[in-house]
Amino acid sequence: MNRKYELVYVVSPVATDEQVSELHTQIESVVQRMGGRVEKTENWGRRKLAYEIGHQKEGTYVLEVITGSGDLMKEIDRRLKVIDYVIRHLIVRVDEDEQVVERRRSKRTEVSRRRRVARGLPPERQPGEGQRGDFDDERDEDHFDGAEDVR
Amino acid sequence: MNGRRSSGGGGRGRSSQGQQGKDGARRPMFRRRKVCKFCAEKIDDINYKDTKLLMGFVPERAKIVPRRISGTCAMHQRKLRTAIMRARQLALIPYTSE
Repeated sequence: MNRKYELVYVVSPVATDEQVSELHTQIESVVQRMGGRVEKTENWGRRKLAYEIGHQKEGTYVLEVITGSGDLMKEIDRRLKVIDYVIRHLIVRVDEDEQVVERRRSKRTEVSRRRRVARGLPPERQPGEGQRGDFDDERDEDHFDGAEDVR
Repeated sequence: MNGRRSSGGGGRGRSSQGQQGKDGARRPMFRRRKVCKFCAEKIDDINYKDTKLLMGFVPERAKIVPRRISGTCAMHQRKLRTAIMRARQLALIPYTSE
């Protein structure tokens, strides 16, 4: 059972860069030990926090995309809770949402293709096409609104 | 009489309804129809990392803009809400403004 997760953690500005990279290697080793894989790592660098956390106004954000089991993420969650210079962390499962988005996107392109072909147009949208049509649609809808008001 | 009716009908059609119109709420004549931003721009995933997008839905008091004002559809409002709540946990977006 391989699931895809996103992990974001915020490291306190008190911690040094070495500590941040050490934390990363620590997570990586846990992931490897429990049969997972780190797909992507992104360091967003030091960012201003939207609100103060423990008298800190800044934090270093790190994003990791991990595939693995739920037990693995549980273990990572436990470890991050223990480490006190990690001020916030969030784990989100993303594979199912990505599938939904992908399905919706492909369905939409397919529908628009079919409609365009049925109207005798090339399947792809041409540049600079359709602006006037959009404008007309909007005006029609405004008119409708007025009719509803009367009733 | 005839002239009256035609002039009223041209505006909003109130003259025929004037008697029973109890609510009497005068709405502005041309209200712009609200459309869901995410449907219109075909934004499929509302991600908690996209702070720029989310900040458009949390004005200065940092409360989430209700559907009746923003015009967002129900499905996208739900997704927007979870995204904003996640972003708040990570201090990307404020809970309140002091």
